[in-house]
Amino acid sequence: MFSYNFKYELKLLFRSRWIQLLSLILLLLFGFSTFNGKQKVEKRKSVIAMAHDEVRENDTKMLKLLDSLQRGMEVSASPWTLPTRPMAVGNYYPRVAAMEPQPMAFVSTGQADLFTHFVKPTATANDFAMNFTEMTSPVQLLFGSFDLAFVIVYLLPLLIIAFSYNVLSAEKESGTLRLLAAQPISIPNWVLQKLGLRFFWMAVLVIVALTIVLLIMGIDILAEGKLYLVLLAMVLGYMLFWFVLAFLVNLWIGSSAKNAVAMLGLWVLFVLMVPSVLNQLGNTIYPMPSRTLMINEMRELKAEVTKKQDEILDNYLRDHPEYAINDTTQKRSFWHRYMASQHLIKRELEPVVNTYEEQLKKQQRLVGRLKWVSPALTMQESLNKLAGTSTSDYESFRAQVVTFAETWREHFMPFLYNNQEFSSQDYSNLPKFQLTQQSFSPAVAFWPLLLISLGLLSLGLLLSKKGHQKFNLISS
Amino acid sequence: MITTNNLTKMYGDFTALNNFTLTIGQGAIYCLLGANGAGKTTTINLLLNFISPTSGTASINGLDVVKNPIKTKAFLTYIPENLMLYSSLTAVENLDYFSGIAGKKLTVSSLKGFLEEAGLQTDAFDKRIGAFSKGMRQKVGIAIALAKDTKVLLLDEPTSGLDPKASNEFGLLLQKLKEKGVATLMATHDLFRAKEVATHIGIMKDGTLRQQFVANDISLSKLEKEYLNTMDYKELVL
Repeated sequence: MFSYNFKYELKLLFRSRWIQLLSLILLLLFGFSTFNGKQKVEKRKSVIAMAHDEVRENDTKMLKLLDSLQRGMEVSASPWTLPTRPMAVGNYYPRVAAMEPQPMAFVSTGQADLFTHFVKPTATANDFAMNFTEMTSPVQLLFGSFDLAFVIVYLLPLLIIAFSYNVLSAEKESGTLRLLAAQPISIPNWVLQKLGLRFFWMAVLVIVALTIVLLIMGIDILAEGKLYLVLLAMVLGYMLFWFVLAFLVNLWIGSSAKNAVAMLGLWVLFVLMVPSVLNQLGNTIYPMPSRTLMINEMRELKAEVTKKQDEILDNYLRDHPEYAINDTTQKRSFWHRYMASQHLIKRELEPVVNTYEEQLKKQQRLVGRLKWVSPALTMQESLNKLAGTSTSDYESFRAQVVTFAETWREHFMPFLYNNQEFSSQDYSNLPKFQLTQQSFSPAVAFWPLLLISLGLLSLGLLLSKKGHQKFNLISS
Repeated sequence: MITTNNLTKMYGDFTALNNFTLTIGQGAIYCLLGANGAGKTTTINLLLNFISPTSGTASINGLDVVKNPIKTKAFLTYIPENLMLYSSLTAVENLDYFSGIAGKKLTVSSLKGFLEEAGLQTDAFDKRIGAFSKGMRQKVGIAIALAKDTKVLLLDEPTSGLDPKASNEFGLLLQKLKEKGVATLMATHDLFRAKEVATHIGIMKDGTLRQQFVANDISLSKLEKEYLNTMDYKELVL
């Protein structure tokens, strides 16, 4: 039976112009979404490059100034901005802490629309209030613009539904099912073969269309061979899930109209409702403390701390005797007091910030545990991870930036408290930000999707055998 | 060979078929006559295992249709009142597909040979079925029976809606299959065609087989009279 289904299914699909239509739609969707994704990546790259250029220009100016100052020349700049002052270097000549786009970043915008891709932490920057944009709703923020991930997660299932919802019901409605059912074949096996073949042909079209589009867009898929294969494997796993659903619906529902409604209902459930419910569940079980209140608390604490900066500085120097011993002048400026108070503010604020962060992590853990309920959510998250635009990628970036900001600040403390000037010799020792990318496991979505699909398929075949279905043949 | 033994089908309190017992041997054509709802199509649906019997058994070539649904279908060909095939495939392709999934791998020339034997015009072989008349589709159905080397033919009002010429051609094809030893069960309203092609005729009413005749032993007018009597109709006097 298989060889005949194989031979005639393609013929029927060609003659009904399904293959041609599907190829065109896939090319258009993949083309437009990849173009969008690539544009965003290019923009992101150029913004980061501009930031790096700006730093290079500033550094050149700084080195010129340092050179002039070291030669004893007069310079036309405000005294507090002179790079011989360590806090001026820390504040006016910051480094760029950038999150460069990963090779597959064009696949999914993910959180890229919502978070900054580079930060210039200054010596006086507040770690908690750096410009990262808040992360309060992991699921809601998970879905983005018209990119390849959107086409795969949202639109591809709709194409699969249109391509498969009536495999059995169309036979019933056209009258061929009675003739088929009078042949020595099992109808569930026949439906399975037909859908298997449709899955095969659609998979071929998806792979071909995607490869053509990526080549046209100038994406070197050979260089990123492994990641490209991972992307294809994930897409095929996700497609398989929807085809298995179509198989179950074809066997159990009935007319084409009912099948279409059932399949669209499942689409709404898995693609829209489950992610939304999980989001609400996260918010209800682990409500986020108000960020506004947190910032107000920060301000109040800062105001209090400012009032007793002398006392704080004394305490700070007691905790850091190395600065007190080396300091022969005992000259204490605004920055000495300010930086000492920053340490205290950070310590005092830690519980408030931790509560906020912990609650956010709990929300994300909950969503992470329950994401398997919706293959769409799993797929979106996996594509974000493949693209390096997932929540965890941005969290990792933020954590690394905060650590770098601390390193940057601390780099200037010996200069400040030892009342030592910054010189051009010290320039090469300035800390540099180096992002460590999170490792991505290719198996993250493919195997679970495959297991879910095969589990559903086995269940369907088992029930169809036990159910002795007659497919309501006598009514047609 | 077709055998039914006290075959009964009930839908709730309604009895669609009641203790239907029948044997149709090789080379026999049994025509089931009866009004709409008499139980003719129910009998065919039960033999095809499209529905399950409430009680009794039905077998094809000695195999129970409920216990061996797939094996029994290898022996039979079913032609419904309105035979629907894949409209975007040609006659040869349809024949290739249906005989192929039934396990018969045939060459194009033998497929065309079967279509020719079934009486389809040569120029229609490679035309898409979508443009075929009902009579032409029935011929493709007969070609499927020939290609499958069928032992049992189940026909559900196959001549309804056919013009007299097409109906006559169909009758001749049944005679051909009869000579090949095919056991045929044909449900029909067409008394004339039944008398023409059948070896045996049965009259059904309310799910029960009321009368049976050997076709050669009864004239058409007598058959009509018996049919009307069974149906409790009065002859219309003008």
